[in-house]
Amino acid sequence: MDTTQLLKGVLDLAVLAVLRDEDGYGYDILRRLRAAGIEEVGDASVYGTLRRLFSGGLLNTYVVPSDEGPHRKYYGLNAAGRAELQRSGKVWHGFASTMDDLLRERGAA
Amino acid sequence: MTEIDAYVDGVRQALSGLSAEVRDELLEDLPEHLAEVRAEGSGTLVERLGTPEAYAAELRATAGLVGDFPEPPKPRYPELIEARDNILEILRKVDVRVGPVIGYEKAGDFLRLLRPAWWVARGYLAAMAIAFLLQANRGNMGLLPRIGDSDLVALVLLAGCVTLSIILARRSPDLTRTPRYALRAGTAFLIIFALAGFQTADSHARNENGGANYVDYSGSNPYSNISDVFVYDGQGRLVNDARLFDQEGNPIRLGDNHCDDPITGESGRSVHLGYPYCPVNAPFTDPNTRTPQPSASTSASATPTATPTPTAPSSPAVSPSPSR
Repeated sequence: MDTTQLLKGVLDLAVLAVLRDEDGYGYDILRRLRAAGIEEVGDASVYGTLRRLFSGGLLNTYVVPSDEGPHRKYYGLNAAGRAELQRSGKVWHGFASTMDDLLRERGAA
Repeated sequence: MTEIDAYVDGVRQALSGLSAEVRDELLEDLPEHLAEVRAEGSGTLVERLGTPEAYAAELRATAGLVGDFPEPPKPRYPELIEARDNILEILRKVDVRVGPVIGYEKAGDFLRLLRPAWWVARGYLAAMAIAFLLQANRGNMGLLPRIGDSDLVALVLLAGCVTLSIILARRSPDLTRTPRYALRAGTAFLIIFALAGFQTADSHARNENGGANYVDYSGSNPYSNISDVFVYDGQGRLVNDARLFDQEGNPIRLGDNHCDDPITGESGRSVHLGYPYCPVNAPFTDPNTRTPQPSASTSASATPTATPTPTAPSSPAVSPSPSR
């Protein structure tokens, strides 16, 4: 199965998840996702998702000036973002365990 | 313009269907991101991230802009684009299949190694094209870009064009859209020019081999309009099936061995192995073997191409049909 297809549905949740403990800027978030094993994610997808989550009111942003490089735009979860993470997380767990059960019953896992 | 600026510019143009405000918002992080990607490793941005157009499409799709904002303009020729995509897909498969046969992961990896060779070849082709356009006597150019028959000019022009081509190749990733298209159009022209040139050179080479000592005086050749040769002996008799040789014993080929049938008017390959190809067109009638006909003199003057033997090349000896 193509992971990129699966990813389309859960990229929002993945981005919210990597921002749970620590704010981050775009490239940093991309790196966290890849480090977590989501390697197929496209650069543009992460930026697009951040933009959509932000306009959906789930993230706040602030710019951090940097001495050696360009200024960085940081993203962080606001209250709505945390609520969404919790809610979507539950949906995911429910869905994932349903799939797990399904695959186990049929002896495919 | 740096590579990063060019990439950002490409993405910006691909997002041109959006309002300036949204576009700027989407592009806000991009230069910073590209700088990070660039710092991380080797390879061009396009190799790492795909084309600016693809990046823009992904950005637009994931940012949830479909529906909220005007849809991007529909492609004008969807069938053409689909055909192009199909061809690219086939090429990609061929690329992967052929690669291992020649010892590379992809055939493209090998072709990329040949790039500098192409730059040099492109310089040569450009020089030839320039010389061809400036040279009055085009048949006489040879394989160097001579202008006014000067070897020195040819070498200087060649060196200049090759150098320019290489410089251009190094800079082409930084070119903006218009110069890049101009470069591609120029390259397409050069390839067509090269194919035409190759075809000409090839047919020249074949003629030289096939015709043994055949010399092409192109333009200045007084024999170029000869279509047949008539050999008469001392008594004024027409010699049939004569063969012509030069001092080296190489056959001399003049004319072409096609005859117009005097009755039907159809053109066909001559049945005669030597000269004349078309004895019926003889300019002078043979007094000994044929009864003189009153119409003979008029028919003789009616064939302008027919010239008596003395016009054959002076040095080669005219030897009537050697025993073969």
